[in-house]
Amino acid sequence: MMQIHVKLYASLRRHRPELAIGQSFECAAPDDITVGHLIDGVLRLPNAEVAIVLVNGVHSERERPLSDGDQIALWPPIAGGADGN
Amino acid sequence: MYYGYSGAILRINLTDRRVTREPIDRKLCEDYVGGRGLTSYLLYREMDPAIDPLGPENKLMFGAGPLTGTGAVAASRYVVVCKSPLTGTIACSNSGGFFGPEMKFAGYDAIIFEGKAQKPVYVWINDEHVEIRPADHLWGKTPEEIDDAVRAATNPLTKVACIGPAGEKLSLLAGVVNDRQRLAARSGVGAVMGSKNLKAVAVRGTGSIRLADPESFWFAALDVLKKVVNDPVSFGSFRAYGTANLVNLINEMGAYPTRNFQEEVFEGAAATSGEAIAENILLKNRACFACPIACTRVSEVKDGPYQGRGEGPEYETTWAFGALCGVSNLEAIAKANFLCRDYGIDSISAGATVACAMELFEKGYAPESDIGFPLRFGDAEAMIRATIVMGERDGEFGALMADGSYRLAAHYGHPELFMGVKKLEMAAYSPRVFQGMALHYATSNRGACHVRGNTVAAELYGIPKYVPPDALEGKEELVRRPFQNSTAFVDSSGICLFTKFAITHREIVSMMAPATGIDFTFDKSIVQGDRIWNMERLFNLRAGFTAADDTLPDRMLEPVPGGPRAGSRAELQKNLQTYYQLRGWDERGVPTRQKLAELGLEDIWGVT
Repeated sequence: MMQIHVKLYASLRRHRPELAIGQSFECAAPDDITVGHLIDGVLRLPNAEVAIVLVNGVHSERERPLSDGDQIALWPPIAGGADGN
Repeated sequence: MYYGYSGAILRINLTDRRVTREPIDRKLCEDYVGGRGLTSYLLYREMDPAIDPLGPENKLMFGAGPLTGTGAVAASRYVVVCKSPLTGTIACSNSGGFFGPEMKFAGYDAIIFEGKAQKPVYVWINDEHVEIRPADHLWGKTPEEIDDAVRAATNPLTKVACIGPAGEKLSLLAGVVNDRQRLAARSGVGAVMGSKNLKAVAVRGTGSIRLADPESFWFAALDVLKKVVNDPVSFGSFRAYGTANLVNLINEMGAYPTRNFQEEVFEGAAATSGEAIAENILLKNRACFACPIACTRVSEVKDGPYQGRGEGPEYETTWAFGALCGVSNLEAIAKANFLCRDYGIDSISAGATVACAMELFEKGYAPESDIGFPLRFGDAEAMIRATIVMGERDGEFGALMADGSYRLAAHYGHPELFMGVKKLEMAAYSPRVFQGMALHYATSNRGACHVRGNTVAAELYGIPKYVPPDALEGKEELVRRPFQNSTAFVDSSGICLFTKFAITHREIVSMMAPATGIDFTFDKSIVQGDRIWNMERLFNLRAGFTAADDTLPDRMLEPVPGGPRAGSRAELQKNLQTYYQLRGWDERGVPTRQKLAELGLEDIWGVT
């Protein structure tokens, strides 16, 4: 088993309302679990609610396997600027 | 007969008080669209780009787009265009609210102010009636006070664009404030208005906008409305959280410029985030004309030393007076935001100037005797004091700050502490991490602004598609076309950029063509955006800018000291020449004859 540090931001915070903004919680997960499986299998978050995933500060695809001690931060679809085309 | 467009440019000479009305040239509409494109073209044509921006030869132009005021989603936008006294480049500041639509209802696509009034005046535009009225009694007042006074003297439904006390004092960070609290903020456009002794522009319009093909227009507009309200970003996120929800995201990425760009991770991010705003000070949303998104926050600090209420704070402001100054006190940030509104100054440049002053103080370059008090990173109270000194232009140090961090840093012999490009301060996205932003900050026509080429949309949340922020390949084209050129087109149409997560040029032209009766198409919109960008570039070249000005502060070439992106630096030199080539420019960043011919710009470019 591995320990993954999880942070939930924006509307995802409703799933762990006892936590302060930016406070992480530890999550035990099977070795080499992927990001996607952590989200829907272990954390049990609806997939549509999770749009942005950072693992150790870097964008990650759902297929990426996690390592012990990884920090994962999750957001719903959010934005703050402007875009193109 | 004009459709979409109101069809007229109102020209007011404040020196001799002459008022003229000219029809809009349809060919200009086809080539430059309106708003940003049209007024930038007129500025270039009518004025020598080398003139003194605070002198009477500068022209101050308010420009609405063909869609502004039509009732299309978020069709609220107008621009303020002139030569910038802060940067010396072309200035084009964009704002929403209700002023732009009112210009159209009064019958004007553009209002141009020339010359200089002998004493303070405000201009009252009531459909076709124009009066230049004394404004001595308004001098010194805040934008909200001016709005109250001008509406009492004209009509309760009048929309007012004005300058605060900072613009009166010709502070180079002054913007134009419309609808009490919205700003066309950057580039010192408020100082230009102040240099003309023009305190306010009051507009009341009782007309309506004719549509060439109303049925097709509304069909298209309703389609856009559906797309926008069903979009998780445009509607779901902006409406629910506003812009400041980026704080925690950018910080977790290690790209959140902190303490004058010395670091890129801020320990106070959570306390000053969009989530914290929603939990502690947020009251409600507010919308602009015809916009269901309602991204604006209205917040309140009920009591204590930072008591205040009003619109904001937005992401950039929250950052500029937060991480950039090392301040973790959300109430102080909100207070700084309200002060910027009352003085009428650009909150990005203002916060960045305070941050620069903090570093100058901490390093011993700016003595306490000059400032009047210790000014350290993280000191919320000192930050507020500095903001007031800057807004008031109080004393020598206040005057230095009021003119921005470039001049402040240069005065103390440390220009390397200015964090911007072409004298405009950078925004809340690190160019050491976002390589697209590195290239855009360096090449943006008004200096280091973020919004006119905000590649963060692609480098962070994948719109139009995700590209890693540290990747260099393809960034030149990404910056050029889907961001810089496209934004130029959208700014010229009158639609708010925040719709663009849900829609593309196709949807915008699908409204513009039936609104105006002009053959706007997707393919033409690509060329129009390119032409407008190049036009602005030509203005800057004529004003004396060269490729040497397409650069970044030296600190951005140093590695990020910590966090997930430690070691990362801006790689501008690796893609600047490719960007020039893709733009059809030579190695000096000058459009080639071929490029000018392609865009139909050869006849207006006389310099070899």
